[in-house]
Amino acid sequence: MDIIKTISLTKDYNMGKVTVNALKGLDFSIKKGEFVAIMGPSGSGKSTLMHILGCLDTPTNGEYHLDDTQVSKFKKRELAAIRNDKIGFIFQTFNLLPHLNVLKNVELPLMYAGLSARKRKKIALEVLDSVGLGDRTKHKPGELSGGQRQRVAIARAIVNNPAIILADEPTGNLDSQSGGDILEIFNTLHSQGHTVVMVTHDRLVAEKADRIITIKDGLIENGTLT
Amino acid sequence: MALSLSQSIVVGLADFWSRKVRSLITIFGIILGIMSIIVVLALVNGVKEMSMEWMMQSGGLSKINIRGNWEYEDRKADKSLSLKQVNYIKDVCPEAVAFNPQSNIWAKLSYGSKKEQQLIVGAYPDYQIAETWTTQQGRFITDTDIRNKSNVIVLGTTIKKSLFGNEDAIGKLVGMNGKKYQVVGVMKYRYMKNRWASEGQSDNAMEWKNKNSFIPLSTMLIKEKADDRIWDFSVTASSPETSVELKEKISNIILNFKRGKPLMRVTSNYEESNQSDDNFKMMTMIFFLVAAISLLVGGIVIMNIMLATIQERTREIGVRLSVGARRFDIFLQFLIQTVIITTIGGILGVVFGLSILELVGKFLQMKAVASEQMVLTAILVSVGIGLIFGIFPAVRASNLDPVEALRYE
Repeated sequence: MDIIKTISLTKDYNMGKVTVNALKGLDFSIKKGEFVAIMGPSGSGKSTLMHILGCLDTPTNGEYHLDDTQVSKFKKRELAAIRNDKIGFIFQTFNLLPHLNVLKNVELPLMYAGLSARKRKKIALEVLDSVGLGDRTKHKPGELSGGQRQRVAIARAIVNNPAIILADEPTGNLDSQSGGDILEIFNTLHSQGHTVVMVTHDRLVAEKADRIITIKDGLIENGTLT
Repeated sequence: MALSLSQSIVVGLADFWSRKVRSLITIFGIILGIMSIIVVLALVNGVKEMSMEWMMQSGGLSKINIRGNWEYEDRKADKSLSLKQVNYIKDVCPEAVAFNPQSNIWAKLSYGSKKEQQLIVGAYPDYQIAETWTTQQGRFITDTDIRNKSNVIVLGTTIKKSLFGNEDAIGKLVGMNGKKYQVVGVMKYRYMKNRWASEGQSDNAMEWKNKNSFIPLSTMLIKEKADDRIWDFSVTASSPETSVELKEKISNIILNFKRGKPLMRVTSNYEESNQSDDNFKMMTMIFFLVAAISLLVGGIVIMNIMLATIQERTREIGVRLSVGARRFDIFLQFLIQTVIITTIGGILGVVFGLSILELVGKFLQMKAVASEQMVLTAILVSVGIGLIFGIFPAVRASNLDPVEALRYE
């Protein structure tokens, strides 16, 4: 079953008089439970694709089906709901809220989902345990190492049990040891049945995935390679 | 899928607390604005209460005063009424509650070896109604006393004390102008705080009344003065509202007595208090304008700082959007945060305002009266400022594009 399916996906940016075609028609699909890496040099359009897949942005043309729902024509309000319900984001720069402690950061998606404080805490503690940070819940992100911060971000991404986990250069800001740990966690999540989509420009990192989709100049180079 | 209001408040409070110094600086303007509103309102309240207290002490709102018009150019013209004229007014104004003509002399009262020079008032029994003042012991002057021109006297507490000490005065005889008067009653003690009293001065603004003594008006006019001129006369209407009409009626009668010359002034307490109310309204308006401008400035400062805060927190907004916050959640978060800031400012303003009230009152020698309504108004105003000045920054925050916001450095 395809959890992600795109049909002739395009994205144009209007830069005054010039229109930049960031994505020029992408057709690909990702199956449920797959671990896929999206690779490409900078400026290839992989970030744009990531934003569209993560429902932060909408395509100019074409269709995007996420978990059997055509979300490409959704309104902002509906996209927010989709993000909360189906997507877990992991960023290169972690993007944790510095003035909230680890627990509160992980609780954030649950809060917007409308869960009670008690339930939020219970679920967030479980997830933090599963990424090995059960003893760091009261710390502020500033008091943690890069690897630990990224694990908090992973906990936040999976706390809502999303349909897909989207990671944007998740190891880009980490040393190779910590980066390896993070990839190990992705492997575990994958083996537990999660769908993981990882954007990277690092071939060594990308090779940890089941399949690599390479993008160049807004087009897929080898969408079917495994 | 929404952040509830209570959660937004919790988030807002946490934000406020995590940026304590900035929050406190931000609300400084609101604190000062609300503080000044509280102080001004309390002072206006105090002045109002004091003038009302004074009005009540001088016979209440239904009272109509008739006195000589000393501003009239003809100094020799008769600026008094005869008792006959007073009684005529009484006959044609049955709707009035009390008629209180007075005729006063300064005289020496003596008992044993003690002597006391004080004001003696010749009065009707209605004096008690008109002045809302009764005896604490014995009785006041009666109609029988008036008919019989009796030599009876009712003493104020101070004069009673200086003549009799703790001795019972009822039934005793006091001397005045070579005649003997029997004490039939002692008035109640009158008190009103005098806020302007200096050291050594009595703090009782009504003390002079405690020094008065009362004899029947008929006795005064016939036995002590041998004329029938009334220089001081008041009428009490059945209510403050009806006093205005009655005042007009009496004014016309007296104008007729005086052949159209305005020799007497007829005034009603009700109209005078309305007049001073109007003055207060004016004063209050001006103060409100000043306070409103200071609150406006405070609001603009807060809006400015909220805009800067949002700029600074652009990335945070992006993160929140990426984990599922809706635009409305972001809008609510920042609006509530602004409201929390202004409300805390308002509460602090109220607290500080109330705590300096007494000091300000003492400094200005004015009475400052706080009321619950005032406190409520001040807090509602500060909430309102938060709502008004918080909307624009909150809309701005909620309109941020998630991709742009996440990219913001």
